[in-house]
Amino acid sequence: MSKAGRILTGRDHGASTTLHCDVVVVGSGAGGSVLAERLTAHGLAVVMLEEGGYWTRRSFDGREDHSYPRLYQEMGNRATDDQSVLILQGRNVGGGTTVNWCTSFRTPPALLDHWRDQHGVKGLTEEALIPHWEAIEKRLHIAEWPLERMNANNQVLWDGCGKLGISRGLIRRNVNNCANLGYCGLGCPLDAKMAMGVTLIPDAVERGMTVQANASVRRLLVENRRVRGVEAQLLDPETDRPTGVTLTVMAKTVAVCGGAINSPALLLRSGLDGNGNVGKRFFLHPVVIMSALMPEPVAPWSGAPQSAYSHHFIERGPGKLGFLLEVPPVMPLIAATVFPGFGDEHQQLMEQLPYTQTTIAICRDGLLPEDSGGTVKLRDPAERRVSIEYPLRPFHFEAFREACKVMARIQLSAGAREVRSLHSRPVHIRKESEIDAALDSAAWEPGRVRVATAHQMGGCAMGADPRTSVVDSTLRYHGMDNLFVVDGSVFPSSLGVNPQESIFGIARWASQFVAAATS
Amino acid sequence: MPLPADGLLVFTPAQFAVLDAVGRRMVRPRPGWPTVDEVGVARAADRIAARVEPSAQKELRQLLGLFENGLAGFVLGGRTRPFTLLSGPQQDTVLADWRDSRLALLRTGHAALRTLVLAAYYQSPSIWPAVGYSGPPGIFQDGPSQPEWRGGDTPRPDGNGVWHGEALP
Repeated sequence: MSKAGRILTGRDHGASTTLHCDVVVVGSGAGGSVLAERLTAHGLAVVMLEEGGYWTRRSFDGREDHSYPRLYQEMGNRATDDQSVLILQGRNVGGGTTVNWCTSFRTPPALLDHWRDQHGVKGLTEEALIPHWEAIEKRLHIAEWPLERMNANNQVLWDGCGKLGISRGLIRRNVNNCANLGYCGLGCPLDAKMAMGVTLIPDAVERGMTVQANASVRRLLVENRRVRGVEAQLLDPETDRPTGVTLTVMAKTVAVCGGAINSPALLLRSGLDGNGNVGKRFFLHPVVIMSALMPEPVAPWSGAPQSAYSHHFIERGPGKLGFLLEVPPVMPLIAATVFPGFGDEHQQLMEQLPYTQTTIAICRDGLLPEDSGGTVKLRDPAERRVSIEYPLRPFHFEAFREACKVMARIQLSAGAREVRSLHSRPVHIRKESEIDAALDSAAWEPGRVRVATAHQMGGCAMGADPRTSVVDSTLRYHGMDNLFVVDGSVFPSSLGVNPQESIFGIARWASQFVAAATS
Repeated sequence: MPLPADGLLVFTPAQFAVLDAVGRRMVRPRPGWPTVDEVGVARAADRIAARVEPSAQKELRQLLGLFENGLAGFVLGGRTRPFTLLSGPQQDTVLADWRDSRLALLRTGHAALRTLVLAAYYQSPSIWPAVGYSGPPGIFQDGPSQPEWRGGDTPRPDGNGVWHGEALP
């Protein structure tokens, strides 16, 4: 075996320096890590750059006030420009895989067909992906979470669906020796979550990969049809401010894997707008939430965060967004910002936290012909913060309203004393018969109801036609020989399932094209 | 409200006073709850803001100015007195007016201000008992003794994430 590589942080370089390698991978999340691991298995020399810090089990202390600033984009407070959609997104070595809730779904085959038929995507079939999913599932111990270990928070969704005859399923999770603590969203203190930072990234480092944390890639070094490398500012690991040190990485091939917001932003900063398509078709599985006051303690922070789901409402007919039902973990700091109101009204809700169950509806955007999604644009190119627009349209609000009704029915059926919408002026419902009237008359407008997302997709859509897409069916940027985008940004629509395993699968599948382009 | 002994990093004393006033309406005195003063909400908001990018800091300063300013209040919401000079109930009315405004811009401003102030209060572990949160389990206590692998000549420590099976195709 060749000599192991190193994991470096922003403090490990005193002066600006230049590295040379076969492939530079920008981003260390689900896409970048799977790609990098495969490339090192092919014997290629890889440098991985990550804007966030390198945090490990050593520092995963389960405290929200420590974890959001360290592990999340914009300290957990990323949002659309108008603040109408809260965006939870990872930012650390391992990216979203360090902080997600372990939910692992294969890409629905019907969606792959849709991408083929509507976007001209070629070769990305279920048959092509199955060997990659199987390998990933084995490596990451992806398996169904047993019903007997389901926490009380998920049990409400499970029981409510059961009583109402709504189809339900058990979630598969990427965990090994999981102790059912419930702190997945703040970094697993046991390394039981099979996040990239404890699995494929160290696998690749053992084969010689260099990881540079705290490296904010500011631009691609573009020369005609080729990218020669990338230029990064190093950030201080403590303050997250630039240290003044520049790291340049020259490479035969460049893979942009920064996710659906940061990948389009990097392309735009580098003058690559993909005929105006970069940053467009940005989807985020907008989520609406219902909270329920239960008669017994739920302790919604405790136990595997997601183990039950329902796909019952994923197809709702023409002109309508389908939705997936799941459950989120809830801890005080995130609850305080998401729960509505202020003063006594808000504090009452907070006091009921141990008895509060919340259910979420994840709306599948980007499949209706009229749904072009949102837009990622640059603000000041010198800054890391970008502009994120996601206009909420009538079809979103129709889905939000109907999803809230369904969730209210489920929660009441499971024994909730009262259910509440997360409107800025909340709707309180105690009886099934009140649901329709109460939610029909609620304010369905941006900024009047809490909308959130933990799934960012699109922005560098794949497709056959350079006039309507950014990358081709091998994830190569249209018109460039050695530039690839390998992450959730290439999805031409959202998925209707949690995206991590789809990103794993497509990245592993695409590694063959990146390797072939690197000679 | 005296300024923090260790100074302000982002906001002016006037902006600090607005944050403090908003904090006192967002979190009311309540038995068993730490007070806004005990948590140091306005200082904590200043420290949170110190970590965001300069353009976002500028927007927060502008927002606090607009929120405080009676003239802007008159144009946008009907009042003429600065926010910090209003009575508590009047301040609640202003907060609700922004929250429920027909102008999306004011709703956005309310959301940003609310998030900053509530995060500044609820980031404190001192609020855990008040909201019935048991806190992270004790298993976290062995974290700091765990090795942090950085590659190089040190062999990778064994653990849950290490693959012991055959190479995957």
